[in-house]
Amino acid sequence: MPNREKADVLQGTLDLMILQTLATLGPLHGYAVAERLEQISKGALQLNMGTLYPGLLRLEQRGSIRAEWSRTENNRRARYYNITPAGRRRLETEKAEWTRMASIMHALLEEAR
Amino acid sequence: MNGRLREYRVRLLATFRSRSAESEEELRFHLEMAEQEALRRGAPVREARLRVGGLSQASDALGDQRTIAWLGDLLHDLRHSARLLAKSPVFATAAVLSLALGIGANTAIFSVVNAVLLRPLAYKDSDRLVTILRRSDFPVAPANYLDWREQSHSFAGMGAAEWWQPNLIGMDQPEHLFGLRLTESLLPLLGIEPLIGRWFVPGEDEAGSEHEVILSYGLWQRRFHGDRRVLGTAMALDGEPYTIVGVMPREFKFAPFWATRAELWAPLAFGTRIHDRAANSLRIFARLAPGVTMTQARAEMATITARLDQEYPGTNRDVAVTELKEKVVGNIELPLLALMVAVGLVLLIACANVAHMLLARAATRHKEMALRTALGAGRARVVRQFLAESLLLAGTGCAAGFVLALWGTRTLIGFSPPDLPRLNTVTIDLHVALFTLGVTVLTGLGCGLAPALAISAANLAGALKEGERGSSERFNRNRVRGALVASEFALALMLLIGAVLLIRSFGALQSIDPGFDAHNLLSMVVSVASTGEAEPARREIFYRQVIDRIRTLPGVRAASGINHLPLGGDLWGLPFTIKGHPKPLPGALPAAVYRVAMPGYFEAMRLPLLRGRDIQTSDDMHAPGVVVINEQAAQRYWPGEDPIGKRIAFGPDWFTIIGIVKGAKQGIWVADIDPEVYLAALQNRSFLGEQKFPGSSYITLVVRTAGDPAAMAAAVQNAVRSFDRNLPISDVVTMDEVIARQNAQPRFEMLVLGIFAGIALLLAAVGIYGVMNYSVSRRTHEIGIRMSLGADRGSVLRMVAGQAILLALGGSVAGLAGSLVLSSAMKGLLYGVRPFDPLTFAAVTAALCLVALVSSSVPARRATKIDPLIALRAE
Repeated sequence: MPNREKADVLQGTLDLMILQTLATLGPLHGYAVAERLEQISKGALQLNMGTLYPGLLRLEQRGSIRAEWSRTENNRRARYYNITPAGRRRLETEKAEWTRMASIMHALLEEAR
Repeated sequence: MNGRLREYRVRLLATFRSRSAESEEELRFHLEMAEQEALRRGAPVREARLRVGGLSQASDALGDQRTIAWLGDLLHDLRHSARLLAKSPVFATAAVLSLALGIGANTAIFSVVNAVLLRPLAYKDSDRLVTILRRSDFPVAPANYLDWREQSHSFAGMGAAEWWQPNLIGMDQPEHLFGLRLTESLLPLLGIEPLIGRWFVPGEDEAGSEHEVILSYGLWQRRFHGDRRVLGTAMALDGEPYTIVGVMPREFKFAPFWATRAELWAPLAFGTRIHDRAANSLRIFARLAPGVTMTQARAEMATITARLDQEYPGTNRDVAVTELKEKVVGNIELPLLALMVAVGLVLLIACANVAHMLLARAATRHKEMALRTALGAGRARVVRQFLAESLLLAGTGCAAGFVLALWGTRTLIGFSPPDLPRLNTVTIDLHVALFTLGVTVLTGLGCGLAPALAISAANLAGALKEGERGSSERFNRNRVRGALVASEFALALMLLIGAVLLIRSFGALQSIDPGFDAHNLLSMVVSVASTGEAEPARREIFYRQVIDRIRTLPGVRAASGINHLPLGGDLWGLPFTIKGHPKPLPGALPAAVYRVAMPGYFEAMRLPLLRGRDIQTSDDMHAPGVVVINEQAAQRYWPGEDPIGKRIAFGPDWFTIIGIVKGAKQGIWVADIDPEVYLAALQNRSFLGEQKFPGSSYITLVVRTAGDPAAMAAAVQNAVRSFDRNLPISDVVTMDEVIARQNAQPRFEMLVLGIFAGIALLLAAVGIYGVMNYSVSRRTHEIGIRMSLGADRGSVLRMVAGQAILLALGGSVAGLAGSLVLSSAMKGLLYGVRPFDPLTFAAVTAALCLVALVSSSVPARRATKIDPLIALRAE
């Protein structure tokens, strides 16, 4: 039950989270993205593959990220995602939007208390 | 937004590509990494799987994001259908061909309807343009036009056009041109700017300053090789210099009806004619003023003309304001709509045919469908699969039909009547493409839906248990199939009756007697205006000598001349007075078709002289004026009297009637023959050029030949040119061609409708054959039982054929009812045959039942050859 709610929240913010992760850490494969998000959220965010990969694909289709096959440190073939200039621009606007929204929410909730 | 657009473009492209295994590999990598992580932490591997989710769900979700799912499903269905159809090529070919015929015919006819009826005329805001004519067809006199223009307020502009046929000389090749004289106000009314140069300017249509000319694009190209420097230069028309002031764009045509061949336009100056209310020679065009409706304009014109008619009795009756477009396409509207209905019926028949072919196939795929349902495919899924199949058929049919339509449209234009308006603009444009697309989708849904619903409604689970031959639903489907074939017959019957009515009507047209012998008759117009032969003294000698020389040619039986060729040339009607009759009111004067004939005209035409004598060479300027009248004039104006010796007057000139000839067809082939008067050419001042009179500087030669008249054309032209090589000769034509041209439209309607009716009949015959064939193969078992119980071959034959006849009769009843509606709508297209011609109705119905019988005879014969022993084991 909480999983369902979590997915709904994710829907709007998943793009932003992926873009931010790639912008900070550089090229990563899908598992590394999931790992990073789990780590940052201290385990609160456990992305399953059915959410993560369609999200990555959507960002790729929209031209925000680019993917290419490469090798891991252990010399395994993996698909690495990198943010594009268009993706960076989008990240900036969405980040600003998110911050603005968050401050509105914050002000509203503080006042209600 | 941009990103989202990009996303869907990528997804659309991906839909058509096969998916790669790469995403699978990526997901597996993820899973392995998660498992290694779990191992490192010493947790069970199962937990890792729980954390990252199932591989197959992720793969599905990824697939949904990669492509556009519903489109992918559709493609899948189409591919599946294509495979199935490829397995039964005979069925696929038959179905695609039927639909291609139907869709192609519809596209072809619609492209004509679109160009001729639907597209606006090629003038600015053409729906505001009107014509003002007497009895919506007849020209108007100058003084009346000027009064209307002066007194009306409903129009933003009004202009007049007059027929003009100048000779172009002084260039390498003399040419008789077709043009119009226009008031200065007319071209601005149409709103089409010249390609180069300008319109006429005010004042140029005043007497003495009218020597300017605007060329059509075609004439400019033909005679001046498209040279822009012609502007401002002069060309000699009828011996007078005209300054070229403009060239109209390539698409520009004026007038859109009547003088459609016009290639050049000059200003129209009325001069002393501004008071003329008798010589009706103008066609009036006007543009409705902003905000004025047709009704208001008509009401105003009615008031104005009523007032004028009181002032000048008989001059302003029956004046009609007509929308220009209606005037242009009014005559062709009904035939085109009839053809549109006809192709609609053909398509319906094709659909019905394909529908029952699909139904028959569906029956054999019963088990497949049952299995699919059993495996969880919903009813919608089964219906969708059927629709995909019929849409695929319709789509392929559409592609083939489009090719057919391209070819068919060209053929259609090839043998369409030459004066069909706007046919040069027929193209496949966006409207046609959308129409075809719409028709195709409807066709696909139409012929797929019935079988899809019939099949999916059946108790499929029951069918699975029962074996191939379900009972109750098969009965239902047979009823559906029977109804489909019966409606095919109904539709085919309607088309056939329409076609036969047109054929009989055309036969009636062909058997009309023109009054003269139209075979082996050649004619051509020789214009003498502004040539060496134009002078009155020379002209008479030239006319006589040229006819004499033609008579000496081998292969010529007789030759003569007339001012205007019956059925092909211009038609003048002039009022006259009769000596001894009370003087009638102006406007109620007796009138007759006015012809001026050279001696020997009646002999050359083989127009029988009923009484009195012929016009002779001695009837010249020095002899008293004589006329020959036709029998209709004799009956109308001298009933119960002998007209010979009676005297009539055209204006101040008196003539004695010397002979009566049989009536000859005059202007329109189907029209009744009006009173007609033949004046003697050799004593006619305007014909010989002693009086300046517009349109009298030419002679139409008529030559009776021994053999093929067309083969004599060159010899006769050479004989004319041997006098003067600068003489323009035009309208070289045989009388048979003239008459064929008059009947071109009914012939066209008959041919096209006949072809469609033939296609319909063929499709219906194939339909009934298919149904009977299927029915016999399904009833092999039953027939076997009947035969083993003692039924003989005759009774089996009767049973099968009887079923076919029953279907045909059922269809015929519905078809006859439809025909009553259709034929009454066709009334305007028929000549000499009633729309409800009982003979036609009965014969066509009988013929159709015969076709049903013949189509079913093959399956019926097969039924009689069934071996009961084998049939009984067939289960």
